[in-house]
Amino acid sequence: MMRFDRALLGGALALSLVAPSAFSQDYIDLEAERARDAQYPDTSTSPSDPYGNRVPGSYPATSYGVNSAPAAPAGTPTSLASPQPVPVAGPESGGNLGALLMQVQQLQREVMTLNGQLEEQAHELRMLKEQSLERYLDLDRRLGAMAGGGTAGAAVAGAATGAAASTVPAASTGTSRPTSGAANVAEQPGEGEAYRAAYALVRSQQFDQAVSAFQQFLRDYPDGRYAPNAHYWLGELYLVITPQDLEASRQAFSLLLSQYPDNSKVPDALFKLGKVQFLKGNRDRSREYLDRLIRDYGSTNSPAVGLARDFLAENF
Amino acid sequence: MMRLALLFCCLLAVVNPLRAELVIEITQGSDNPTAIAVVPFAWGEAGVAPEDLAQVVQDDLRRSGLFDPVARQDMLSRPSTEQEIFYRDWRATQTEYVTIGRVRLVDPQTLQVDFEVFDVLRQNRVLQGSETGPVSEARMIAHRVSDAVYAKLTGIPGAFATRLLYVSVTRVANDRDFYRLTLADSDGVRPIVLLESREPILAPSWSPDGREIAYVSFETTRPAIYRQELATGQREQLTNFTGLNGSPAWSPDGNSMAMVLSKDGSPDIYLMDLATKRLTRVTRHYAIDTEPTWMPDGKSLLFTSDRGGRPQIYRYDLTTGLTERVTYEGPYNARARVAQDGRNMVVVHQQSGQFHIALMDLQRNRLQILTSTALDESPSIAPNGSMILYATKSGDRGILAAVSADGGVKFRLPSREGDVREPAWSPYMGRP
Repeated sequence: MMRFDRALLGGALALSLVAPSAFSQDYIDLEAERARDAQYPDTSTSPSDPYGNRVPGSYPATSYGVNSAPAAPAGTPTSLASPQPVPVAGPESGGNLGALLMQVQQLQREVMTLNGQLEEQAHELRMLKEQSLERYLDLDRRLGAMAGGGTAGAAVAGAATGAAASTVPAASTGTSRPTSGAANVAEQPGEGEAYRAAYALVRSQQFDQAVSAFQQFLRDYPDGRYAPNAHYWLGELYLVITPQDLEASRQAFSLLLSQYPDNSKVPDALFKLGKVQFLKGNRDRSREYLDRLIRDYGSTNSPAVGLARDFLAENF
Repeated sequence: MMRLALLFCCLLAVVNPLRAELVIEITQGSDNPTAIAVVPFAWGEAGVAPEDLAQVVQDDLRRSGLFDPVARQDMLSRPSTEQEIFYRDWRATQTEYVTIGRVRLVDPQTLQVDFEVFDVLRQNRVLQGSETGPVSEARMIAHRVSDAVYAKLTGIPGAFATRLLYVSVTRVANDRDFYRLTLADSDGVRPIVLLESREPILAPSWSPDGREIAYVSFETTRPAIYRQELATGQREQLTNFTGLNGSPAWSPDGNSMAMVLSKDGSPDIYLMDLATKRLTRVTRHYAIDTEPTWMPDGKSLLFTSDRGGRPQIYRYDLTTGLTERVTYEGPYNARARVAQDGRNMVVVHQQSGQFHIALMDLQRNRLQILTSTALDESPSIAPNGSMILYATKSGDRGILAAVSADGGVKFRLPSREGDVREPAWSPYMGRP
């Protein structure tokens, strides 16, 4: 097919055979309008109604690009007070009909341009909406990560140092506080004390007693505010007690993952699960957890992501 | 009258078989083409083979840009059976694959090619096949061999055994020009003039089974849409309306044809039921709606419209009757064609005043400009989606050029004489 504008030209040509008066000019003749404005500089003061409808007869017909007949028959009464509509029929209205068609055509052009702008703006809006939703989700993720970032970061940073004895890291920094990831769950009476007591055992490196304490804590407050933290610490503790209990640790972290998928400890639990599976010799499962961590939390500032990357780089 | 014109066409076809033949020049190839040797095929009969089929295969593979065929003078041996292959020879010339073949006559009119492809590194056969066909269609048989080799080694079906339609124009000083609707093999060879006219011929297009074509001819001094059967040359005038009759596009099921008519005012898209000739109006807008093309599922039509002030691509859903805009990037996107997978669309795209061919991913709404020449138009996609043929200008002459869907491979098909425009790549052809 021809290029579109050529097709357009061809179309206009073909049409001009059908309706020469209607389609002989399908553009707005800016030059002619400028010339007309120069010729009749007083157009602004010329009679017109409040909606800008030009009074027939007030301009020469050339202003509409029709040169054949005067716009209004001589003697047509033109009243300043009540402008006449453009007559569309009558023996001498050929010029007016042409003018009307020209006007319709100009309106069509304008509507088309507006149409295009509307389409483009609707498109832009759609894109913006998508973008802002994406941004919101990202922000939400980051905020979630930040809320529990202190604990998680410190805990993992310590854990990553590797040796069993030093896996009590958050304690030494003193930043370990129950995470607010499940802040909507109210603290139950006595829960805080029980949690802190168990946590104190971690700090003093009495790991076996800490395990029992956290287990007891979960029996007493299975739906407590700090239950996810307890699961997390149990997971960590099973790794440092002698003998190490990989399966129990895996279960604790998995529990956290399945029961509290929105908890701020999830990235850390994912990293730990990756490590546990690696220690169990399941390289593929390990890789799955670490990849999932990087995929889901890669855009957050969770330190677990960096640790996972390093771990992957070192071991895979 | 029509019969006379037809006779005239047939006569021309016989008289001018070589006019407007296309010559291929590869301008840009793939970065890492596969080295393949196509050893001249053994001829199992007395005398000389009617056609050098291995050469055809070799040229096909080279033109795809994905292969770098070994030159014949560099071949250390010319085996035609597996026993004759010494892999050491081919490793020495860093050849990755070796294609061998044997050609013989099954009967005086029928040619058979048995071909095999060997992996030099693994030292095993990766493909064995055989193609049969009339002696007169020897080149088409070779193209089918190319299709098989290409499909085996790239995983993409080949599109060499296909054909091209294009319009060539010979300028005549101080007189009306000559327009020729030409059918050629996908490599531009064996051109056949289907219609010659002193009036313009436009918008050639294919039926989905590749047996028929449709086009617009001004031979009655007014544009009219014709359909023509390739095997018999029989043709039928489909439209004769006042105003524009243009852009015929066969539906994927072959039962109806989308077209542009301006009989009711401005150009709009209509559907014609080819059995009953009944027309259905698809678009109804005072803007210009033109260049319809079908989505491969036949459920919606893409077309170009300036209803938004500037030409852009729109999609009309035939089931819901809703129209939605498809392209937003740039001030001008026109003449869409969609690949068979329904995912990639090519358009003429304007960027800083120049017209390029661009590929748009309809799922991800990404537009990628494929060509760098300035006046590119009329893109047409190969049935396997790998290459896009389009018309462009070289100097002051209209030529055809092709680009791969990723923009990596480019070649030009300049005509020996005249301007060439409006290429249309055929669908997969049914076997003759």
